[in-house]
Amino acid sequence: MEQAPEHDSAQSGPGGHLLSQLVAHLREHRTRLQEEWSQRIQQTHLLTAMTPQEMAAETTSVYDNYVEVLETGNVEALQHYAKDLSERIIPRGVETHEVVGIVLLLRDVLARSLFEKYQRDFSMLNEVLDAYEPAANRIANTVAVSFVDERERVIRQQQDAIRELSTPVLPVRERLLILPIIGVLDSERARQLTEQLLSGIRKHRAKVVVIDITGSPDVDESVANHLVQTVDASRLMGASVIITGLSPKIAQTLVTIGVDLSKMNTIGDLQGGLEEAERLLGYTVTRKEVSTSS
Amino acid sequence: MSATERSGDAPGHTADDVADLIPMVRRIVYSRVGSHPSAEDLVQETLTRVLSAASTVEPGMLEPYAIVTARNVVSSLWRDIDRKNRNQHRLVDLSAPEPPEKQVVLEEEQSAMAAALARLDERERRALLDHEVDGADTHALAARHGTTAGAVAAQLNRTRARLRVEYLLAIEHVDPPTDRCRPVLIALSSGDQRRQREVQAAQHLLECEPCARLSQPLLERGQQRNDCLRIPVSSDADIVSARRAARELATRLAFGATDLTVIATAVSEVCRNIVRFAGSGEVVVELLEAPTRGIQIVARDGGPGITDVDRALGDGFSTYGGLGLGLPGVRRLMDEFAIASEPGHGTTVTMTKWEGTDHERPT
Amino acid sequence: MNGGPALVSIMRQGSTLIASVHTALNDSELVRFEHDLVDQIGEHRSRGVIIDVAALDVIDSFAALTLRRIADMARLRGAQTVLVGIQPEVAFTMVRLGMGTGAVPTALDLEEGLALLAEQGSHHPRPDEPEA
Ligand SMILES: [Zn+2]
Repeated sequence: MEQAPEHDSAQSGPGGHLLSQLVAHLREHRTRLQEEWSQRIQQTHLLTAMTPQEMAAETTSVYDNYVEVLETGNVEALQHYAKDLSERIIPRGVETHEVVGIVLLLRDVLARSLFEKYQRDFSMLNEVLDAYEPAANRIANTVAVSFVDERERVIRQQQDAIRELSTPVLPVRERLLILPIIGVLDSERARQLTEQLLSGIRKHRAKVVVIDITGSPDVDESVANHLVQTVDASRLMGASVIITGLSPKIAQTLVTIGVDLSKMNTIGDLQGGLEEAERLLGYTVTRKEVSTSS
Repeated sequence: MSATERSGDAPGHTADDVADLIPMVRRIVYSRVGSHPSAEDLVQETLTRVLSAASTVEPGMLEPYAIVTARNVVSSLWRDIDRKNRNQHRLVDLSAPEPPEKQVVLEEEQSAMAAALARLDERERRALLDHEVDGADTHALAARHGTTAGAVAAQLNRTRARLRVEYLLAIEHVDPPTDRCRPVLIALSSGDQRRQREVQAAQHLLECEPCARLSQPLLERGQQRNDCLRIPVSSDADIVSARRAARELATRLAFGATDLTVIATAVSEVCRNIVRFAGSGEVVVELLEAPTRGIQIVARDGGPGITDVDRALGDGFSTYGGLGLGLPGVRRLMDEFAIASEPGHGTTVTMTKWEGTDHERPT
Repeated sequence: MNGGPALVSIMRQGSTLIASVHTALNDSELVRFEHDLVDQIGEHRSRGVIIDVAALDVIDSFAALTLRRIADMARLRGAQTVLVGIQPEVAFTMVRLGMGTGAVPTALDLEEGLALLAEQGSHHPRPDEPEA
């Protein structure tokens, strides 16, 4: 990195030299700058979910990581720290703007101290800022990206958990799934139910599915429609569906939307449904034995 | 606040979103230039730029976008004006939302453009110049190269993406420091997010200053153009290309596997109608940001049209091969569906799927 | 058109033909597949046909009708068809679109398809058995 031309890039040789000067400056005034930064954070009411002790510990770590990135240009350690920090603070409701905010505050506190240090040498100030700013922006970006990634991951995880809770697909025995539907079934839940059931059929290689809707008092026409489509789609994947616990009200809705109930395998209660399922599975096995031994 | 009102119709971010950024932008600018007389101008300039790009910036990215913009605006004050400024100006020109592809190709500085063109391979260069300069349309090019119009359009898009990158490198006199640079820049230029993930573009931008600098105009362009795809449809093979392209575009939103299949299937059906009844036409697939995120598909043809639209939408209407399930089926698949047809003048089907909803139609 | 990787393969196992679709097919390719398969059913006097469509990411009205037509033609030639490998999202989309498989039986995958043919007694899965 020797061939750097006059005024071309802040990243070339002189920039590197300036950065190390800058890092020395930031190390030297660490206590004061960190204190100033903490005050700014408090003034702007960021990270109010954290105690002062936690705050002190985290700001120290962020500060040191920050200076380290400036020194080495390597964001890896900072990424790890940012991910780890995000993991700890996301469950406490810390928002993206707070995390980005505190990093930007640090950037500005440090920039100000550079102004103070070099204010009498304007061209030097320009050079220092040219070296500092790309690195500082990179750091802000790294932290923001890590936080947002982590947040999305947590949200996805929570959504998955909720989805599994609300529509559990239970493999009771080989080739047999039970899908108990409890509570009100709206369009969104119906859609999730379908996706879970169909992928469950493939995953467990199910041949028979019992959908028990005893726990669901009523459904509207669109959900009833969805239910019928789910039964048909299951068939396309080679699984038979038995519906148990059909209330007279839901049966009425199904008839209203034009479903031929005689073509649906409906059984009064779950117990009966399971017996029918066993019969279907057993029947399959018997026939198979007959045909292979003949 | 007249500047903020102007973007009231921006689909992605509202004027309020931008207004929320004012304190932050002001802080960034003032911390850098202190009480410099032009500080407030710089704030305004930053906000104006953010506003003009607000509709194309991805949700959640407005803040980082504003930070980078503010930083660039400020640095343009600090830096030497001469060469930097001149190129900065060109970069801004390049990134302005108005000039379409052709202007980029035809108007930019010739030597940089020549250098960029020289880096394309002969076939790519030929096809692009035939299309942009000589005005050969995608059908003609397809015939000439023994392929389909859809494939030509896709290839042209990739070539343009490369050309933009090579042009920027040439005009900025940048020699990419790593061999990851070009793939990253091209992925950004084409707006292909899957490719961007594959080459870990975001990571690279954090680590590579030249790419970070060059990427801004590319990002603005890429997002501008690539939220929308126009696919000519005139053959069986185009039906498959069109549904693939639509599915791929849809993966940028949070559609689940079922919705992606639903979208691809609906596109397949409307494209088949074009090929069977009109011979040729086009499909425009566009990502929507408002009122919520979704995907809109417009299928147009100049064919004979449908005399009785209501009948065509009733189950059992059969126009070819005893089928009669095409349009009513598609209507059930999508959240919104409209058809306009004028006998003798063609048919336009407009349909939309919203992200994360299931507005099921009663049958 | 030939020379690239095969879009479809048709294998014979005893009196059963196993047709696997390897990639998305456009309409003309589907029609060619239909003709090839129906020809082979006649040629080999097959008793069972399994069509594996696991590789199809879209089964639209044309594809669904073509598959049904193959099954109809096969039946006229004395063969029972089973459709296997329909993906979950594809299954649901077909139903929403209003396209089932008609009277064509379906099974989860090849193994289940063979078992189903065996159950229906129209087929002997072991290749060493004499053909009917
Ligand atoms: Zn690079």
